[in-house]
Amino acid sequence: MMTPMLVAMHRVLFPCALLLLTGFPTLQERPATKTHRLEIVRMKFSPSNLSVQPGDTVVFINLDMVTHDVTEASGKTWKSPPLAAKSSWKKVMKTSASYYCSFHPVMKGTITVK
Amino acid sequence: MKRFEKITIKAMALLLSVFALESTVLAQGNPTLSDAEVASAAVTANQIDIDFAAIAKEKSKDTQILEFARTMANDHQAVIDQAVALTEKLSVTPKDNAVSKQLKADAEKTKAQLRAKSGKAFDKAYIDNEVAYHTAVISAVKDLLIPETENAELKDLLTSVVPALEAHLEHAKMIQQKMSKK
Ligand SMILES: [Cu+2]
Repeated sequence: MMTPMLVAMHRVLFPCALLLLTGFPTLQERPATKTHRLEIVRMKFSPSNLSVQPGDTVVFINLDMVTHDVTEASGKTWKSPPLAAKSSWKKVMKTSASYYCSFHPVMKGTITVK
Repeated sequence: MKRFEKITIKAMALLLSVFALESTVLAQGNPTLSDAEVASAAVTANQIDIDFAAIAKEKSKDTQILEFARTMANDHQAVIDQAVALTEKLSVTPKDNAVSKQLKADAEKTKAQLRAKSGKAFDKAYIDNEVAYHTAVISAVKDLLIPETENAELKDLLTSVVPALEAHLEHAKMIQQKMSKK
């Protein structure tokens, strides 16, 4: 039988013990990375120019009825699979990039990593 | 130069026939097209560009043209699928009418002209027609079909198709320009 006092002590002590074991990881790392929502809507990337921190995730969400993709401008480094209506794709951004849709090359955007 | 004039005249003729249609339809007073007729015209206009793409797939060897045609076939099919799903939801049966008949008659002539060409001449005729056709369809959707539509969901669907048509037009113009430099 645990008294309420013991229960309370466990609730405090157990996390403390965990922190001691893992060495306060959250205090040593950089601020948590963010996730940015990038909509593909009415044949445009929105926002078409996005600034992110290194390691941030960008989620591309296709809200149109037609299929789009996200292709890095040189065509050599990265490319999403075809994104059908209502589907999404995410990428962790480490370097800045210009990109376009290979199905509709008039659709363009940039992501600046800084 | 002569060729350019011929194309411009063709594009103008296509535009004029759409404008003529609009004035015929509009002259009859409002509402002149039922939603069932608007839906039929919209499906027909999309199907026609799929048909043009099928001819390109059969006749062209140019990667750029083939990729463009594939996008046209996929995108216009997506629009048709949405339109059909909506008409089913609304219990509307698309109804043949003056606009869809005119579109089909014009398309038959264009298809015959495209089929008569081959090689680079075909590629040029195909992309020139895509520029002219999208120009005409954008104006028909904006100035005729959308104003004629009663149902809000059908109106929204038609409105959401316009940016895709405009992107197709810009894409076609881009290819047209690249080809003229070759
Ligand atoms: Cu696209």
